[in-house]
Amino acid sequence: MEDMILQVNHLSKSFGSHEVLRDIDFTVKKGDVTSIIGASGSGKSTLLRCINLLEIPTSGEILYHGKNVVAKGVNAPAYRSHVGMVFQSFNLFNNMTVLENCIVGQVKVLKRGREEAKAHAMQYLEKVGMTPYINAKPRQISGGQKQRVAIARALAMDPEVLLFDEPTSALDPEMVGEVLSVMRSLAQEGMTMLVVTHEMAFARDVSNHVVYMNGGVICEEGTPEELFGNPQKQETRDFLSRFRNN
Amino acid sequence: MEKITQLCADIVKLWSKYGGSYLTGMRNTLVLALIATAIGCVIGFICGILNTIPCTDRDPLPKRVLLRLIRIIVRVYVEVFRGTPMVLQAVFVYYGLPYFTDNAVKFTNIWVAAILVVSINTGAYMAESVRGGIISIDPGQTEGAKAIGMTHVQTMLHVILPQALRNIMPQIGNNFIINVKDTSVMFIIGFPDFFAAHRAAVGASYLYFPSATVEMAGYLCMTLIASFLLRWVEKKMDGSSNYELVQEDQLTMTAGTYNHPDKGTPFDEHSKEFRNRTEQELKFGRTRGDR
Repeated sequence: MEDMILQVNHLSKSFGSHEVLRDIDFTVKKGDVTSIIGASGSGKSTLLRCINLLEIPTSGEILYHGKNVVAKGVNAPAYRSHVGMVFQSFNLFNNMTVLENCIVGQVKVLKRGREEAKAHAMQYLEKVGMTPYINAKPRQISGGQKQRVAIARALAMDPEVLLFDEPTSALDPEMVGEVLSVMRSLAQEGMTMLVVTHEMAFARDVSNHVVYMNGGVICEEGTPEELFGNPQKQETRDFLSRFRNN
Repeated sequence: MEKITQLCADIVKLWSKYGGSYLTGMRNTLVLALIATAIGCVIGFICGILNTIPCTDRDPLPKRVLLRLIRIIVRVYVEVFRGTPMVLQAVFVYYGLPYFTDNAVKFTNIWVAAILVVSINTGAYMAESVRGGIISIDPGQTEGAKAIGMTHVQTMLHVILPQALRNIMPQIGNNFIINVKDTSVMFIIGFPDFFAAHRAAVGASYLYFPSATVEMAGYLCMTLIASFLLRWVEKKMDGSSNYELVQEDQLTMTAGTYNHPDKGTPFDEHSKEFRNRTEQELKFGRTRGDR
């Protein structure tokens, strides 16, 4: 089982008395592209934030290569540097240029030399097609471009798994395509990805595993063919039918 | 009209006699305000940063107790120095030290005493400004930094504080201008500032109103120049609103190593057509290919 990267066991999370996640179990293997779908408020984003320890789970464990990262005394920053995250609201550093955004983590966290970090950043910025904009500040570029830079920033850290928290939900419809095409090519290159998304076409065509969440629990999971082609549960069918109609 | 000419004549008379002491007073006021604001900012930043260290119930108990203690100390400091007049703080510190040590320790240098009092006073105000500056930064910035594995200190140093500093620049300017004016109360411990020059001049000449006019004009000049400079600094910090599109791959442009194999072909990236095409692509997207 050495290709197992993440294993989530009995994960629960409550905000006060409000229980957002209940007894979540799932695993991420190397090369997996997992899509998490579900209605708003079903706990998809909270699950992703728990995995990156931006939220601390109330109970349960998250095993990263067999080591529980939720336990007390775990070096959370070191763990996070192996698990990249792309946010719905981009969260690029506003005080830095596009290039600096992709360099700072490598230099400060991975202790790479500046030149090496720059070459590495340029490599990923080229992949997302942002090399012409390396001197721009985040406020000067469009939402789709920001998200592509955010992906390059996460990639530049050479993460083992990349988490996407609704990466296209804050974008205008015409910019969704450019971000999805970048994600699609990443998936083809074998990047391990965990994507919370409302883009059903992306979930169906790109991922090899789909998780449908409803009311804080995993309602149904399987391959895209199983889940989209032959959903077993009524909730899943209801949810998917809303997307089929349009 | 004749009153005005009278006033002008008096001012000329004052200036010819005490011009030098007015000017040194102005210099001392500016130097004191500048140094004290700078030190005050440092104190304010330290307090503001200490006050915003995150503390969760997952942290070990000693850390939580220590953080709680720090917050209480900073709180007391801010409330005491923000809540008492600076003129009294000056007297309290300047005469308090020899009082408690039976004259064994006292301020031999009036500058040290003045800078100390004005700095800690400014620090108390800045502590709250810095705290406000830090919490005004979108939490997404912190999350973005955390997500690439930065520690709290790195996040603060490289992401939050540079942005917070920009946001509190107007507050720093505010404090500097307040300090230029309010250091006038330092005459109480005998500091030779601009206002002390006025007291010396009128003590000898009895020209109260003309000297006050000089003071008013002088202080206004200093604060106007200060505001102007601060605006300029803020503009500098914002940087250019333009940016250059970089068409060439900078990494391969190192001098002497770059050859130009596509010269004369449609893919020559130095040719005008190629650049136009790239620009068009950036604007309107590619006509064929990846989209």
